[in-house]
Amino acid sequence: MTLRKGLTLADVLITVVVALVFAVVYSIWGGVYTALQPLGLHLNELVYGVWFIAAVVAYLIIRKPGVALIAEFAAASGETIVMLQFDVMLMLYGVIQGLACEIVFALIRYKSVSLMAAVSAGVAAALSTLPLDWFYGYLGQLETWNLVLMIGFRVLSGALIAGWLAHVLYRALKETGVLKLVGSRRAGHDEGL
Amino acid sequence: MLDMIKNYTTFIDRTNPVTKLSLGVMIFITVVLMHNPNQLFYLALMLMLTLLLFSGVRIRYLVLLIGVMLAFGLFSSAYMIFYGEGRTTLFSFGIIHVTEESLMRGIHIMMRGLALSFFGALIIFTTRITDVFYSLMQQLRIKPKYAYSFMAAIRMVPIIAREYISLRQARKVRKPLIHKKYVSGITGFKTTIVTLLSQSIRRAWRLSVAMESKGFDDGPRTYYHQTSFSISDFWLVIFTVLLFIFSMIFGTIIEPFATTDAR
Repeated sequence: MTLRKGLTLADVLITVVVALVFAVVYSIWGGVYTALQPLGLHLNELVYGVWFIAAVVAYLIIRKPGVALIAEFAAASGETIVMLQFDVMLMLYGVIQGLACEIVFALIRYKSVSLMAAVSAGVAAALSTLPLDWFYGYLGQLETWNLVLMIGFRVLSGALIAGWLAHVLYRALKETGVLKLVGSRRAGHDEGL
Repeated sequence: MLDMIKNYTTFIDRTNPVTKLSLGVMIFITVVLMHNPNQLFYLALMLMLTLLLFSGVRIRYLVLLIGVMLAFGLFSSAYMIFYGEGRTTLFSFGIIHVTEESLMRGIHIMMRGLALSFFGALIIFTTRITDVFYSLMQQLRIKPKYAYSFMAAIRMVPIIAREYISLRQARKVRKPLIHKKYVSGITGFKTTIVTLLSQSIRRAWRLSVAMESKGFDDGPRTYYHQTSFSISDFWLVIFTVLLFIFSMIFGTIIEPFATTDAR
């Protein structure tokens, strides 16, 4: 893990713990996802966005470089631990999705915590694993309407769940006051208090 | 917990976690690049046999697990079986259009998932999770900051789970008194997650303060648990390479499927 200095032990520990809370959620969510699969109509893609929520929430809380990547990787590997199923693919997807979020946050220089930042990170994460899915699941050989449906659902889900819902959770967390303990000093989590 | 369902240990238990992780990545790449369903069939079959023989877990648990994996694998390939492109129609109902080609591709995707799941289960059954982080620190020189954060956080998972259960029980008791939206739906989800997150953040912060005040840092350190590479690593690498070679050979001699290219 090549990360810049600046992350303290507290930052890393909080990121990983937040990610593991979501790992528990992911594991429960895996059931919903699988239950929606048999139709083949990609209804499961509508809940796909839940899988990037850890990266976005962790970034909103800590607001430092590298946090989104660690969070998404930790959540993915945490899921494999909770489910008792080591899954290389899952961890690889976690890294790629985390990187996609990280790039979006780097572009806004880890400053903004606006809804738009969260939504664009969610969409970026949704798009990031499509190339891999293309090779793994032979998506090129799907009928076109089915493929469009799948990509559309996935992007929508990334924007709504990983973007909007993550931001809702962040605002609620801020209200509890717990964020005054954490993150970058200039982040101003306690602004307005 | 794993000791309760394990009967015996094999050389895979003595293999370094770093070797297993690298082999996992190697199998993933191989499976993605493999387009011949015959070869993939043998690879998946042999990985299943490896899981049955070398994980040391009691057979009835393994049979149950493999059954669940088969069902999940079938679900995850449903989209391709029902809506994949193809010329020879086998079955058509409404928008569902099963063709010979799409069925083959669906089975291929399912076998990919199965091969990865079998190897993943083998790793989980033969590895202690703390050893993964010790060997990441000692063999791959990952900073202790990250490794110990992971280990500490994994210890907190049971606490998080317990909190979630008591939260749900409290909700159940208060259900007649409070509005329905705080129990289910998005508000219910939000309040649950926010409670769990805020408690976990406080706990993690307290722990990190304690660790830092006791002088925990990234400096040079010694380990009580030593991990290293051994002859078992060599055997596992040879074993996996042999699996690849055998599946390549068998896949071209005895072909269970009519086609040699799933694309």
